[in-house]
Amino acid sequence: MSETVDSDVPEAPRATAVLTYLATHLVDGPEQVSIESSPTRNGVKLSLSVAPDDMGKVIGRRGRIAQSIRSVVRAAGAREGVDVSVDIVD
Amino acid sequence: MEWIETTGKSIEEAKEAALDELGVDEQDAEFEVLAEPKAGLFGRMRGEARVRSRVRPTAPRPKDDRRNRRRNRAGGAAGETASAPGAVATTAVSAEASGSDAPAAAPAGGDPVGEAIAEAAAAVTESPADKGRPAGSGRRNGSASAGTGRGSRRATEERNEERDKMSNVDVPLEEQGKVAREFLLGLVQEFGVAAEVTATVGDEDVIDVAVTGTDLGMLIGPKGTTLLALQDLTRSAVQQKTSAGNGRINVDVAGYRRKRSEALARFALQIAENVKATGVRQALEPMSAVDRKVVHDTLTDVDGVSTISEGEDARRHVVVVPAED
Repeated sequence: MSETVDSDVPEAPRATAVLTYLATHLVDGPEQVSIESSPTRNGVKLSLSVAPDDMGKVIGRRGRIAQSIRSVVRAAGAREGVDVSVDIVD
Repeated sequence: MEWIETTGKSIEEAKEAALDELGVDEQDAEFEVLAEPKAGLFGRMRGEARVRSRVRPTAPRPKDDRRNRRRNRAGGAAGETASAPGAVATTAVSAEASGSDAPAAAPAGGDPVGEAIAEAAAAVTESPADKGRPAGSGRRNGSASAGTGRGSRRATEERNEERDKMSNVDVPLEEQGKVAREFLLGLVQEFGVAAEVTATVGDEDVIDVAVTGTDLGMLIGPKGTTLLALQDLTRSAVQQKTSAGNGRINVDVAGYRRKRSEALARFALQIAENVKATGVRQALEPMSAVDRKVVHDTLTDVDGVSTISEGEDARRHVVVVPAED
């Protein structure tokens, strides 16, 4: 695990694009969707934040939507060879 | 009727039994606890937990569920406005004819566990399905069916979590299909895969959205988990855009679900033959509620065997047992 990671650019552009796409299509306030990318030990963590009123829409009943978002974004990350995790922050 | 009643040693168990019967995941069902289990002396059960449940409207519906389903839409929106929390008239007569052993306990009023469980239950909108199940198929342990209209539906048990965003409206299915298709097209583009997406409006308010192309494995994921997630997100996106309260969107990628349930049905028939030949019950590996329903439904019409589900949660699985005669 000695790969160098540059924390300035998202290392998982595809996963980030997918997350952006999903989030903006699920919320009332797409303009308030923002995603921060940070390196983790073996991949990238994407931190999603949305308007407070939209939290429920990206989390869903019992976290179901959040779970689905993670699953799909992880798949996108896998496609570009990056282990991606998604955090929803408020 | 679309409401069913199930029993179990615990509320969880009763819910599991209900999910099996409905063939959906927990998230797609709504529950109402009718009676809590009562522990007797030395841990013996004096009373079973009793739960009333149904498929949540606009929630996933397995394809195999379409038969026997009759859309119950008297005037569309009118039917929905009448269904404010607590205002629903209940005529909960289960399709089950085998409920001679119905517990006599009346629905408990104000039980704390019931309240907790009801957190998961969303308010009713309109009847999604008429589920006719053959009587006496032996899928439930201690099945109960009786009219439970009286007092079984407390306003406090109603939650409207999913639909707190907006009121549901009837949106033409073609329109929903179009929105779903565009959503998925955009998504696969972000994925960087070339895929075609078609939306077909089928009978009984089902919208089948099929993603086809090459190299779609990553959209399916291990055991179809990514596909399920895609379906969830597609439904949410369509709901977000259209506020649709009608219709049911099913997403398939590269024919995965169709092939899988066909294969599963074949497999189940094979197992049934084994069980009939050997007279020995056979447990299948743990499966999702949708898959279990495929097995149950496939074997319902097979003489000489019956099916039950055993195990909790993720370990829940179907057991094919030789029919007693």
